[in-house]
Amino acid sequence: MYKVVVPGDFISEEVNRAGEGTYVEDGKVYAMSYGIVEEREEIKVVAFSRKYVPTNGDVVIGRIIEISFPYWIVDIASPYEARLHISNFAAGVEKVEFGSMSRYLDLDDFIVAKVMTVDVMMRIELTLMEEFKMRGGGKLVEIPHTKVPRVIGRSGSMIKMLKEKCNCFIFIAKNGRIWIKGSEADVNLASEVILKIVNEAHTSGLTDRVVNFLDSFRRDKGKGGEK
Amino acid sequence: MGLKIIDDIRKDYVCNLIRGGQRAEGRGFREYREISVDGDTIKRAEGSARVKIGDTEVLVGVKLDVGEPFSDTPDKGVIITNAELVPLASPEFESGPPNENSVQLARVVDRGIRGSEAIDLEKLCIEEGAKVWIVFLDIHILDDDGNLVDAAALGAIASLLNIRIPNERYGLTGENTLPMRETPVAVTMVEVEGNILVDPNFNEENAATSRLTVISNADGSLSGMQKSGSGGLKEEEIVEMVETGIEKAGEIREKYLSPL
Amino acid sequence: MKEGKTERKLIIDGKRMDGRGFEELRPLKIEVGVLKRADGSCYLELGDNKVIAAVYGPREMHPRHAQDAKMVVIKCRYNMAPFSVDDRKRPGPDRRSVEISKVSREALDPVIMKEYYPKMAIEVYVEVLQSDAGTRTAGINAASVALADAGIPMTDLVSSIAVGKIDGEVVLDLTGVEDNHGEADMPMAMIARTNTITALQMDGHLTKEEFKRGLKLAMGACHQIYELQRAALIGRYSKSEEREERKRE
Repeated sequence: MYKVVVPGDFISEEVNRAGEGTYVEDGKVYAMSYGIVEEREEIKVVAFSRKYVPTNGDVVIGRIIEISFPYWIVDIASPYEARLHISNFAAGVEKVEFGSMSRYLDLDDFIVAKVMTVDVMMRIELTLMEEFKMRGGGKLVEIPHTKVPRVIGRSGSMIKMLKEKCNCFIFIAKNGRIWIKGSEADVNLASEVILKIVNEAHTSGLTDRVVNFLDSFRRDKGKGGEK
Repeated sequence: MGLKIIDDIRKDYVCNLIRGGQRAEGRGFREYREISVDGDTIKRAEGSARVKIGDTEVLVGVKLDVGEPFSDTPDKGVIITNAELVPLASPEFESGPPNENSVQLARVVDRGIRGSEAIDLEKLCIEEGAKVWIVFLDIHILDDDGNLVDAAALGAIASLLNIRIPNERYGLTGENTLPMRETPVAVTMVEVEGNILVDPNFNEENAATSRLTVISNADGSLSGMQKSGSGGLKEEEIVEMVETGIEKAGEIREKYLSPL
Repeated sequence: MKEGKTERKLIIDGKRMDGRGFEELRPLKIEVGVLKRADGSCYLELGDNKVIAAVYGPREMHPRHAQDAKMVVIKCRYNMAPFSVDDRKRPGPDRRSVEISKVSREALDPVIMKEYYPKMAIEVYVEVLQSDAGTRTAGINAASVALADAGIPMTDLVSSIAVGKIDGEVVLDLTGVEDNHGEADMPMAMIARTNTITALQMDGHLTKEEFKRGLKLAMGACHQIYELQRAALIGRYSKSEEREERKRE
């Protein structure tokens, strides 16, 4: 059973275990979000919903929304825009010139990038991942970034199971964007299951239910007579 | 290169579904989302209704005031329809004076009521040339998940159906009710990938290039129409939309307005 | 339709016109997450008041020059639907709603941890759908719940209520009739956990003793309201958990 808290709820007196989503006042730990208490080494409050704000090292899926030499401006599903400097463009072979930027990355292109720095003014610099271009089609779904840990599961259990049972390539970025590649039916199944996980993220026994759902889906398909 | 996604991810999703003969939430192309009409929900108003179509939610309130008639219609009351797209209802709405969307919304609803002569304006005359009832029909949008027009038009008629004329407040005597002569119902459709969809939700509205609202009466006659969006429609599409609109209007009138 | 301060009995045999005692709240109903498009929302009824609050953001602050490089900017707009009052209210802001918007913003501001979203804006919208005195307090209560629902980092919730004076008695939570014929009205807002008052207004006439009594009364009521706000937020998720469990059975 998950413990739901609201801002200002007293959580603990163990000040040194106070983690994300909490604050300390007069030697006590309180919730600063509406969410669920998670007790491991740290005591955290995982918010039900919250806008994504990047931290260094996050891997995100971004969309080019503006080209302004020497930067590409990138939407990363956050209130804050990120930017990618031409010197961080991994092409390496040639210098990216003024006026030629769109040849490398054009408006509305999606990229896989890593957050390199976030400064106090919330300027966010990206660098491209080795496999940054999202080639080979597939589908992009967007979920609240707070649900990403649930889709991944404890030490990756949920996502591993999803990939196997749905027979898909699935890439989950920290900012809640998920890239799914595979046959159309498989991709549709995978996105349906991901939405199920998102909608039931705060309930217990989720993994079992997802397995049952996938198994029964496959059985139903089997009855219909697969080619 | 890479994967190009039209405008946004949701639009692509909508178009893909429709190409496969499907619609979000498993809805049929000619099917409305769940509708609910709560009449007389606001005490302070002389008539009111809260309408939900799926997640779209609209509150309509009617207030009456005594004022002067227009000089060219000295024996007729006045209807003033106003729509507020308050920023509470959508991340796209902004505070400020009415924009073209809210003006269009109010005018389409207004046209349906006028066109059908649903209200006998002469019944709103108190003293010819001097005093008439001014009917303020205010449409307040609470949640915009598409198809505001149908929700607003339904709310307008539903609130007129439970109107109480506040004679006492103005020291007047007379009928406290306002009989309705007609119940115009608006039905909005969009065209996406060659298919006609009734009652578009927000994502479907964005994926569509043209939209048509058909307002019709109990006898199947039309009392208003409005096309919007920058796409074109073929004659046979329009005819089909009009026929569908009349049919759907009949169903809505029967199910949601008759009980009021 | 104000009849002015005429001789009118608002209290008969120790009971108010709606049957309440002096220190009794009107029925309070709170629903969380009622709007699809908003980041957070709340519908609230306090007696005959009906209000909806929505929160958007954090999102980009417009105009840009009003951005704060160190913290998030809170914007608040209180608005009355034209049909929410007896005499139709002309749509759009007026002096009263501008003042209430400011008071409401300042009531909520102290609990919002603004350092988390520099340069951004959090927008709070309160729509009054039906009014019967106390709309600003109803709006603050709803907005506070909507802020939590939007996942805004906050130290606490804010709770709000008005006290007033009718027929010479200090009473809690005035209705419209009581307000129109009463001698004083004093809306306030408070952080229940720390008993910190974040908004206070008064108009009319109160003695110092009456003021002190009224303030205590309002503070007690804020604790009750806080419990109801909290229960509405907690209940939302335990309810959906139950639903899931039922489905599974």
